[in-house]
Amino acid sequence: MLTATHLAKRFDRNAPAALDDVSFEVKDGEIFGLLGHNGAGKSTALGILLGMVYPDAGEVVIGGKSIQQQREEALAQVGAIFEAPAFYEYLSGWQNLKVLTALSGGVDTKTMEEVVEWVGLSKRIRHRVGTYSHGMRQRLALAQALLPRPKVLILDEPTDGLDPEGIVEFREQLFELRDRSDVTILLSSHLLSEVEQVCDRVAILRGGKKVYEGGVRGLGGDRLVYRIETEELERARQLADEQDVLPGPEQDLFLLPENADPAAFLESLVKAGVPIRQFTHLESTLEDLYLEVSHEEAPATEAKS
Amino acid sequence: MTLFLRQLGWELFRMFARKRTYIGFGVFLAVEILIFVLLTLDRAEQGMQQWIERVAGGFEHYFSALTLAFLIVAFTMLILGAVFVALVTGDIVAKETEDGNLRLLLARPVSRFRLLAIKFLACQLYALVLFWFVGLTAFGVGLIERGWGGGMFVWTPELPRVSIFEWGEGMKRYFMAISAFLIAYLPITGIAFFLSCLKIKPAAATIVTIAYILADSILSAIPLPIFQDYQHFFITPKMKSWSLLLYQDIPWPRVFESWAWLIGFGLTGFILGWVIFERRDVKS
Repeated sequence: MLTATHLAKRFDRNAPAALDDVSFEVKDGEIFGLLGHNGAGKSTALGILLGMVYPDAGEVVIGGKSIQQQREEALAQVGAIFEAPAFYEYLSGWQNLKVLTALSGGVDTKTMEEVVEWVGLSKRIRHRVGTYSHGMRQRLALAQALLPRPKVLILDEPTDGLDPEGIVEFREQLFELRDRSDVTILLSSHLLSEVEQVCDRVAILRGGKKVYEGGVRGLGGDRLVYRIETEELERARQLADEQDVLPGPEQDLFLLPENADPAAFLESLVKAGVPIRQFTHLESTLEDLYLEVSHEEAPATEAKS
Repeated sequence: MTLFLRQLGWELFRMFARKRTYIGFGVFLAVEILIFVLLTLDRAEQGMQQWIERVAGGFEHYFSALTLAFLIVAFTMLILGAVFVALVTGDIVAKETEDGNLRLLLARPVSRFRLLAIKFLACQLYALVLFWFVGLTAFGVGLIERGWGGGMFVWTPELPRVSIFEWGEGMKRYFMAISAFLIAYLPITGIAFFLSCLKIKPAAATIVTIAYILADSILSAIPLPIFQDYQHFFITPKMKSWSLLLYQDIPWPRVFESWAWLIGFGLTGFILGWVIFERRDVKS
């Protein structure tokens, strides 16, 4: 649904690249996370995805339309929310929606009312935005992003500043959107636990480069991660290879298929004469993965660009 | 076209929904009333009486609602017109950038050219409403003071001599001149719009525009040969073209020549602003 290919951007000739050969793909109906420290290149990437920042190289294709070549056709399929959404404070929520949707060709009143009802803003939609709380602005931001019905939602730090209740509600709304409306979602966030709960896959940026693209379950993706302490690691790796057990990013890590029987794998090693001192299951989180790939010198990842 | 008009309509709605629009219009009205009070002070009125009696005869006939309205409009626009128009146009893009609204607009499937064209046109229509507001309120003040009917007595520094009209022709000329302010002020909207499209604070766009217009106005008025040789480079003398419509016999070739310069200047400001804005990276 959305493909970013070899994106590169340098804002200043003397400054380091804001983005350096970054590619990733967001599949149809997927919730995809874009992670990274401040300055990692997330905002630049989102700017390019929305045609607001011109890349030095590379291309973004949304629903078969290139943002760089067919900006309007590509954006007709997109809704976007930005960090700290800014509206016209002196207009009501409804008037803000009217002003914004007019630029998309207009939306009928019934559809607008449905979306406003769905985001839970019906009671206050006729009030001035200047009187809204942060949570209500975020609801309004979601409403404008959903008008008219987009195929892709691009969300920049959507839960930033929301209270825990608001975050849970927003998460449920995203799932509902994906499941009911078949919307593909790309979000950037600093909240790793949030991303872990919401996203199917993530890309991690560091210093303008992509250092990881894959599942959110941590080091092993969908696989089970085991650490084996033995003096014969090479032999253990050979035996693992025969049983569809993949080598991990470190020498002593092994990635077993999700439905594998770890006891059976251990037994096979012991029977083959590999002396095992310790066989430990690692519960790896997205946080582990993030800290590892965003700090290491050379990328060691499930998938690299 | 229908969609363009609808988008333009919402842009105008947004501009007219701001409280400061009405504060601004209120300030114009206050200045008009102040000028009216000054013009009707005994001393000022006696001066006008002597002058009208000497040139046209019949003070009661020619010191009419139209004459009063013309004087109020001329002084009000001289004091406030350029500042307010520069303020509104200088804000039109720069304020959206500063407030963070621009990204929401640019995330919509609309070209940057179209977005800017809507905003530029909305500024022109906003200015037209302002000029008509000033014109109608001044006329209203004149009617309250002098009543319906009479003649019209007009003089500005640009006129070779005093113009005198009867009521019907005076009304026509008065409202033609009011509408012509739109073209006369195109250089201001052009410069302010161009500056607003840069990465610049809204206030800076307004201040630089006013500074340019003031500098142009002062330099063009200096009676030195060097400045006389370069008169064609100055735009403010052409901005006075609205007063050409108050000549006894309108010098249409001069009017059209001035309008061509003014429209060209304004559109150049728009095109330069668009070219720069089109190439700009818009980031948080």
